[in-house]
Amino acid sequence: MLIEQYATYIGEGNIEEIKAVAEPLKGLKVLHVNSTKLGGGVSEILYRLIPLMRDLGIDAEWQVIKGDEEFFKVTKKIHNLLHMPGHDRLTSEDIITYMRTTHTNLSYIDTSPYDIVFIHDPQPMGLIVNKRQGQKWIWRCHIDISTPDEETWKFIEMFVNAYDAIVFHIAEFAKEGVKIPKFIIAPSIDPFHDKNVELDRNFITSTLEKFGIDPKRPLVLQVSRFDRLKDPFGVLQAFKMVKRACDCQLVLAGGYASDDPEGEEVYNEVMEEASKMKDVFVLNLPPDSHYEINALQRAATVVVQKSIREGFGLVVTEAMWKEKPVVGGNVGGIRRQIVNGFTGYLVNSIEGTAYRIRQLLINSEMAKVMGRNAKERVRHTFLITRQLKDYLVLINYLINSDHIQR
Amino acid sequence: MGEFRFKSEVWTSEYTGIKANTIHAFLKALRHVHEDVIYYHLYRNIFEFHYLPLDYANSFAYWMAENGYYVLAEKLSVIDPLQYTSLEDIRHDIIRILEDSGEDLDVLCSKPFYFIRAVRMAVDLNIVAKDLESFVNGLKKIGWHSLFYHLVTARLKLGKPINDFSRWFESIGEAELAREIEKVNLWAHTLREVKGQLISIVERKLYAH
Repeated sequence: MLIEQYATYIGEGNIEEIKAVAEPLKGLKVLHVNSTKLGGGVSEILYRLIPLMRDLGIDAEWQVIKGDEEFFKVTKKIHNLLHMPGHDRLTSEDIITYMRTTHTNLSYIDTSPYDIVFIHDPQPMGLIVNKRQGQKWIWRCHIDISTPDEETWKFIEMFVNAYDAIVFHIAEFAKEGVKIPKFIIAPSIDPFHDKNVELDRNFITSTLEKFGIDPKRPLVLQVSRFDRLKDPFGVLQAFKMVKRACDCQLVLAGGYASDDPEGEEVYNEVMEEASKMKDVFVLNLPPDSHYEINALQRAATVVVQKSIREGFGLVVTEAMWKEKPVVGGNVGGIRRQIVNGFTGYLVNSIEGTAYRIRQLLINSEMAKVMGRNAKERVRHTFLITRQLKDYLVLINYLINSDHIQR
Repeated sequence: MGEFRFKSEVWTSEYTGIKANTIHAFLKALRHVHEDVIYYHLYRNIFEFHYLPLDYANSFAYWMAENGYYVLAEKLSVIDPLQYTSLEDIRHDIIRILEDSGEDLDVLCSKPFYFIRAVRMAVDLNIVAKDLESFVNGLKKIGWHSLFYHLVTARLKLGKPINDFSRWFESIGEAELAREIEKVNLWAHTLREVKGQLISIVERKLYAH
């Protein structure tokens, strides 16, 4: 069985527990709907979660909504406005575009045969109008909607209230006043994903050499798309401070989408800044560079994630899984992952980032211990098997909830 | 000789929608929240203890410290759920500590507290022990949640200050083994380590027979 492969990481006993929780759900029809099969954290998780659910006897399927460029522009706007109010606002035309595409998807995706329907993020959430009696619908919200643009929220809320539950990454992301049950389920990583599998030492060394990085000298790494909210300029400044005391190299690895003009702008600015510095490598990698990112993470001495705002930050989890101490911004899901002083450090400034990087570079034994703690924390809390278990408990709870006195 | 059935209890987390910005609001909520909220914030912390910040013992204490109430954080940390057999008793003691604190309870805290409830689900693992040998084989097959259920949650379930394993050992005339198991310190070791220790304790006894 596929699920049994995970015994390597969490032990046979924990697999047996998952099987026991799935037992009452055998034969249940479960549908996951999102907006893309490729790219992004949601599809990465579903790619593995669906086969795992099927392996446990659940009739799980995954469908993807269709939409044109105009639709996805609107849903991107909704996404941003749910995240925080901006200069933009949702217009009547936007709502018409959203409803028109939703209407098309309603005829394309048949949700009626399923007992449980998971809708991921705002793009497909309008499918709820097809909810039939007896079904349980769950909205899996992957973003922080605690302080949304109120007009956008009012539009979304009409759909939200028809769901049976919402799932957030962390409680802080929940919108106050939402009446339906709100569950807190952290996302996870898959140890068998190309990003996380064990790599041959030679491959790691050759990857570094390919980019001109010296495998023998300490390496500080931040992996993130080129985005101001990931504060690459702050990392460069912190690195300058560290360089005064320690010999080390910095890698800023990431990418930006071809239709993301701001990403390109940030990348160019970072390149310009980095060109004035020694030992800095700015790598603009294609989105499928999983093995390269994996190799860089495994080669790193210290991993940094100096975000100013962050959803969950699974890139932190990935580095922790590779036994790396992570210096992370004290925001969002990063706060939930890094145990300050035990698996890495939470920082609030550029100076704090520099201080903690320096501390970890100087104290290699301490860095090793923190790295080991980090891996154990991920094993215990942030692997896909834990998320699967959470979903199974949630489904069990919802299908029995009509009889439960709350 | 009675048999021992290995069970487990898993949980997921539900945000109650109750958020407190003052100790007063915290106290008010604490008086009426479902007892599985107390279970979540105190017991889940034991489950994850070795992977959490080490300064304080539970999320209530952490919140106090985050907002500058260090004395209260320490007073709440010393509450050891393993010494209790009822969540209501824990609730009562926390309320008493806060009421007697002498703090101004209405000062606005910089960080709110989010009350989360554990949605718990007990499952039977269909592993049965009839003697020491089958018990140790069963122990090898169970996961962290099962271990936690029998060692910790069992005290609440039966309202008795003893873990399930020791209770069974006592019932089969293995009082010494029961005492040894009860002595294994969950605060000092991770559940992975505890499992290894339990296996070696029982195996030692088994091979000495």
